[in-house]
Amino acid sequence: MAESGAQAPAPIPGTEQRPLLWVTRPLATAARQFAKSLWRPSTIIYPFERLEDPKFRGEVAVASGKPIGVGEIWDNYRGVHALNINTCISCNLCAFSCPDVCIEMVTVPGGDPKHPKKCPQIDYGKCSFCGFCSDACPEGCLSMTTRYELSVHKREDMVYSPARMFEVFKSKLPMNPIRVERPKNEDQILLDPPICIGCNACSRDCPTQCITMLDIPKPTPKPGEKLAKRIWKEPVINDSDCVRCGTCISVCPKDCLFWGTRQ
Amino acid sequence: MWVNMGPQHPMTHGLWNLRVRIEGEIIKDVDPEMGFLHRGIEKISEDRHYNEIITLMDRTCYVAGLSWEHLFIIAAEEALHIVPPERAEYIRVLSAELQRIGSHLMWYAAFVQDLGLTTPFLYGMRDRDLILDLFQTYTGGRLTYEYMRVGGVRNDLPLGFTARCRQVVDWLMDRFVEYDRLCLSSTIFRERCDGLGLLSAEDAIAYGVTGPMLRSAGSRRDLRKDRPYSVYGQLQFDVATANTADVTGRYLVRMEEMRQAVKIIRQCLDWLDDNPGPVMASQLPRWLGAPYAPVGNEAYLLKRNYPTGLGFSMVEEPHGEAGAYIVNDGGEHPYRVKFRSPVLINIWAAKRYLPGYRVADIPPIMGSVDVCVGECDR
Repeated sequence: MAESGAQAPAPIPGTEQRPLLWVTRPLATAARQFAKSLWRPSTIIYPFERLEDPKFRGEVAVASGKPIGVGEIWDNYRGVHALNINTCISCNLCAFSCPDVCIEMVTVPGGDPKHPKKCPQIDYGKCSFCGFCSDACPEGCLSMTTRYELSVHKREDMVYSPARMFEVFKSKLPMNPIRVERPKNEDQILLDPPICIGCNACSRDCPTQCITMLDIPKPTPKPGEKLAKRIWKEPVINDSDCVRCGTCISVCPKDCLFWGTRQ
Repeated sequence: MWVNMGPQHPMTHGLWNLRVRIEGEIIKDVDPEMGFLHRGIEKISEDRHYNEIITLMDRTCYVAGLSWEHLFIIAAEEALHIVPPERAEYIRVLSAELQRIGSHLMWYAAFVQDLGLTTPFLYGMRDRDLILDLFQTYTGGRLTYEYMRVGGVRNDLPLGFTARCRQVVDWLMDRFVEYDRLCLSSTIFRERCDGLGLLSAEDAIAYGVTGPMLRSAGSRRDLRKDRPYSVYGQLQFDVATANTADVTGRYLVRMEEMRQAVKIIRQCLDWLDDNPGPVMASQLPRWLGAPYAPVGNEAYLLKRNYPTGLGFSMVEEPHGEAGAYIVNDGGEHPYRVKFRSPVLINIWAAKRYLPGYRVADIPPIMGSVDVCVGECDR
């Protein structure tokens, strides 16, 4: 039944019935490749040579006319994360952007007791190395390096604490230089003034301190009218400093902040 | 007698089971059984941001990640009414064609391994590594790229990439000649492949078989020509066909497709050299920007007038014609995502092209299908 409707295979040009050629041609090709591979290997001798070595860095390989086919590693390789704890602003954007929910914000020493400093802790057992966290980081303090060796003996060791990622940062590996540009029509954080109670929560928790609480005039109540119980202040957001992390929205007790475009 | 080939069998290249009914040596009937690698990607996609689905697309087909990213991105951009910059389109086509070579080389290596030839296997894997090295220089990953974004691509090509890419494709063009010398002019290869797995064009179309399997039967159907997407309309290339409709024909089609892919890559590199520019659309909905901060309360989300839409795309993937359908109901996640996998249908047509042959012919025939189970089961 398989033969129905199909043509018989046509002879392929150049490969006519020449039995001697059929045997010698593949052998000759393989022999030539073998001879080439003696002085131009396609592999690297891993524990002794490493992809991180400068001679395997791509730019060098292109410039020196090194034979292609030998391993290399470029700066935008997505390996183990490096975290600069000193510049981290605890904005939570890396944890929000993680598709695998493997980033947890843990408290690190350095913040004040009311407003603790939180830095990302990554569970490499879940991480898929997509690089979204490093793209999202507004300060460039969380970045992926060229380190690719991750094997450990215990499962708990797969979790990299901020201190451990700071160690990676201090080893001065090449860091991923890519920064994704933000769209020009990005939404801003807007305020719904009648609902605001002036509680200062947004200003207190803003990682970039771009929210200032400004006084607003207290209206004179008409006779019989009861004024709302509130502090007569209102947040004003400096858009150029805002990193769009949404912390203010999530801490607002009255849900009076929202995303939108100023008309 | 029914014989199970799989789920753990060297012939299957992944997890699927081929149940074969044999009488003596002759195959009378087959029953492919898929679904061992089902991960529910369509359902997971409903709970993710559009850009986060791209991480799933790489895992859908693990040898053609960028082709599947391209497929999803075209549909998502249609659903979200976004127009990417032209430079991003060229980079995507360049990536998809490099991925086609990489996927075909992977197929070549696995296929000849099925036939028992080890030397071509090593050559195929070695040369595929060049493609992976290229990918790593600009996407940052070797197998899971996460490179394309809705509205463009993540980053521009690094300095010196085009020169290096030209060097690699020149190298590969020499290698293709070697592959033909190793396989096409080898008795062992020809004796095991000629005239096996015949599937005529009419049968292939009736079963929905696409890609190199269809073109090896003389059909000229190629979505890049018939329904040009992205910038394929502006590029010159030929559709690779063969008229033998057997395993050797599929080999010839894939080899010719790699040469045509090199032709497309060279045109893309020339264009990219001459036309610098942005690689990301400047106008995007908020949740498609780099950070994915919380949206806030639902009441305000409903107040905003977000665009809704449907997106559909068809892409000539290395294995065949893949399709994606996305329903965007105005939220930050798609309402429904559906994918069409070419491999699922190509395997299912085994009911037509396997019976009549011997048991020993199954590995070459199923090897020529280019099975990728991750994509088949999703």
